[in-house]
Amino acid sequence: MIESIILWLLAVLVAPFFSGVILKVKAFFGGKKGPPLLINYYTLIKLFKKGSVYSTSTTVMFKLGPIISLGSALVVLMFLPIAGQDPIFSFNGDILFILYLMGLGRFFVIAAAMDTASPFEGMGAAREAYFPILCEATTFMILIFFYRLTGELQLSAYFTGGNTIGLWSLAGAPLIFIVISFFIILLTENSRVPVDDPATHLELTMIHEVMVLDHSGPDFGLIELGSFCKLFFYSTIVSRLIFPFDFGFSAIGCFVFIAGLIIVYVAVGVTESVIARYRMDKVPQFVLTSFALAFFATIITLEFIK
Amino acid sequence: MGQFFISILIILFGGFLSLVLAQQAKLMKIITVFLLSAGCLLGLMDAVLKLIQPGIAGASFRYLNVFSLAFKMDGLSGFFLVIIFAICLIAAIYSFHYMENSRNALRTAVNYFFFSILIASMALVVTAANMITFMLSWEIMSLSSFFLVIYKHNSAESRKAGYFYFIFSHVGAMFILAAFGIVYGYTGSFGFEAIGSLPEAAKILVFISSFIGFGSKAGVFPFHVWLPHAHPAAPSHISAVMSGVMIKTGIYGIIKMYILLNLHTPLFGNIVLFAGVISGILGIVYALGQQDLKRLLAYSSVENIGIILIGLGVGMIGVSSKNPLMAVLGFTGGFLHILNHSIFKSLLFMGAGMVLHKTGTRSIDALGGLLKNMKITGLAVIIGSLAICGLPPFNGFVGEFFIYIGGFKGVGLDKSAFVMSCFAIISLAVIGGLALACFTKVIGIAFQGEPRTKAAVNIDEKGPSMLFAMSILAGACVLIGIFPKIILWMPVKAVSALGLGFSRVPPEPFGQMAGNITLAATIFLVSLLLVTAIRWFFYRNKTITRSGTWGCGFTQPTVKMQYTGSSYASFILDFFRPAAPLDEDHPKITGRFPLNTYYTSHVNDIAELHMKRVIVNPILFLFDKLRWIQHGDIHLYIGYILLAIILLLFFI
Repeated sequence: MIESIILWLLAVLVAPFFSGVILKVKAFFGGKKGPPLLINYYTLIKLFKKGSVYSTSTTVMFKLGPIISLGSALVVLMFLPIAGQDPIFSFNGDILFILYLMGLGRFFVIAAAMDTASPFEGMGAAREAYFPILCEATTFMILIFFYRLTGELQLSAYFTGGNTIGLWSLAGAPLIFIVISFFIILLTENSRVPVDDPATHLELTMIHEVMVLDHSGPDFGLIELGSFCKLFFYSTIVSRLIFPFDFGFSAIGCFVFIAGLIIVYVAVGVTESVIARYRMDKVPQFVLTSFALAFFATIITLEFIK
Repeated sequence: MGQFFISILIILFGGFLSLVLAQQAKLMKIITVFLLSAGCLLGLMDAVLKLIQPGIAGASFRYLNVFSLAFKMDGLSGFFLVIIFAICLIAAIYSFHYMENSRNALRTAVNYFFFSILIASMALVVTAANMITFMLSWEIMSLSSFFLVIYKHNSAESRKAGYFYFIFSHVGAMFILAAFGIVYGYTGSFGFEAIGSLPEAAKILVFISSFIGFGSKAGVFPFHVWLPHAHPAAPSHISAVMSGVMIKTGIYGIIKMYILLNLHTPLFGNIVLFAGVISGILGIVYALGQQDLKRLLAYSSVENIGIILIGLGVGMIGVSSKNPLMAVLGFTGGFLHILNHSIFKSLLFMGAGMVLHKTGTRSIDALGGLLKNMKITGLAVIIGSLAICGLPPFNGFVGEFFIYIGGFKGVGLDKSAFVMSCFAIISLAVIGGLALACFTKVIGIAFQGEPRTKAAVNIDEKGPSMLFAMSILAGACVLIGIFPKIILWMPVKAVSALGLGFSRVPPEPFGQMAGNITLAATIFLVSLLLVTAIRWFFYRNKTITRSGTWGCGFTQPTVKMQYTGSSYASFILDFFRPAAPLDEDHPKITGRFPLNTYYTSHVNDIAELHMKRVIVNPILFLFDKLRWIQHGDIHLYIGYILLAIILLLFFI
């Protein structure tokens, strides 16, 4: 329990660092030196030091957006097995709660965006409401896959201890599909290229960034921290899937886990460097590819794993 | 049953008094609302007691020595009675200030009169113990609600809505009658008990026929066409009752038939689940495309009926594949969603009623910024929206949680049960996402931003009884969401009363799951407090300035530039284009400064579109050709009747 809490705290603390890795990779591909690895901490500190400007159009919903999006991200991490260790909380069906809790966070981010009466934020909100629908279909398909293998409906049954390696020995080949599929979900849910470009300079082409245009100061800091945590959540799962080995709670275990995380973040950075953002109407096809992958993986297990 | 009949009599007496006292509007309202509430409260207490101590109470009356009117109260009817009385009680309270502005006191009185009949007949429907009683109550229910729908009978739109509703409810009733007819043909008795002895083929026919009949009342796709017409036409507390409670009697009918037929074939489960999936997805897609707030809510009822049917379908598949846990979870989830939907949907209709009352418009695109002046209504509608999206920690999540767990139990099975379970899970996920899009549209466009037209400027929210009713329902949404235990026993009791062939519903897993939900919700609330504290810490002694919204460099923003509901939904509707064809009308833009232009769009409901093309138009064509039969001569009409009877005598 105490280890889980320490890991949770560490996860929240180091999440901004890993997001910095992506920037470094992108800079490397661009032939630039890039910002320091700790850039996200500097940004957060700067934001927390500032005051805020609120639009006259906004209501209390605007202030609730950052609180609930960070609050839900923190709770989600509490249910996540980090480095193969038991999460702080776990129960049968916790994954449903987590997914819907992220939905709650999204609801309030959208509501905060709509609160500003800005047409740009409305546009971003409409996209933010659209793409996750397709993601959810994939996520639940992946859950069906996991349930078929383990008969359990909680994250700890898939990602703690020797469970993950058990999954690989049961259905190794289909699991590769699942990893790719989940990586696509990671890119979509966290507004990365090729779905959304966090570094774009034109408001019309943004999704997530345009929704938080009016947030400033600590409020914006909370939102940023929330999105770092969210990316950390998805990356942890992918990292655990690619390095499923069980070393217990030890230095080597943590080392392998961190190596996995860095691979995932570098992969995100590489993807952002080599692919351009898709046209908005191509995005659904991209996301549905992940659904098809998860679907095929499930069908394959249906035949071969009795 | 004594207390039950007393409460029904009080309700009916209240309705009757409203007609008598029609001239003293104030007094009439006080007395009627008081009597309706008192009757509902009495009935509610009785129903809750019946549910706590399950037992079967019955009463029967002989009527004109031909039919026996029989009533019976078991766990299932007790559960539905709780919903009926609880929601009608709140709706009656809400109506006190809602009906204030009616200039025509008589119309208000007639409205209360039919409202009381509607409550009574709904209660009788779920307690009816033979086919005659059931059909009689069913028809009274349909007719009384028809008169409630045509409340504004001088508007053509209302009359059209009433007409739609009348036809659908009666075609539906014909299907139910056909099902009962088959039963009578085989058993020769009007009792419900004999249904179980039918041959299998007849059972399937009875189920399908009654599913169509009850489905048209419940609003199952494609028989839902009347809902989006009738709900906006009725006064809001009536819409709340119709959408929150009355359509559930259709669900009651489906469950009752399923239990009575006692045929555990996978076919029933598959039919119900498939209908649920289609209603769920298309219902919410159409809801997303609506510009009229109450139409949107009506379509969202179609969606929620879909979710309920998915739950019941999962349960039925669990029964047919002999998986007790899946069966019980599916049914419990479905029942929970029946209860939860009645709470948050009536809440949302009441909120819409308040908006309509104060702004005079139902068009979402004409509103905006309501949250600033309507704090309680706004908060209530936001809570209702969160609940209807199935988000934790609100009550909508609880029902969906159980349905999901039940569905996942089915994933472990094989063949058709596996396919249908996957289908159920994926569509529930998609429905959840679409509902989120739909209700962020309601909140974001109507309640947030800046007022788009004059109608939404300088409004207030008055009417203590309306605010009180909404607060109660919103409180229930939160309370059940955090502590599902306080109501979980009701669906569990109702499910064990079904007698699914499992000796007893094990209460332990439910208690544990409810405990888990409470735990998770508590963790979330604590973490919210934590984040709020952090936020407060960082905002100490900081300068907070207020200014206009950042217009990305544009310095002259107007309220017209805000995103509209139609544009918000257009991305998603594009994706569902084949199922939701869009009619757009706008002139070509010419010249450099196109001043006078307009744009209208309308999302077509394919059920309505094709029903018109395939059924209504041919029938109209045929009847047009037969017009010569109807010539207005009474003598010949009597001749027709005699001829028909004589012909029938030959055949029977």
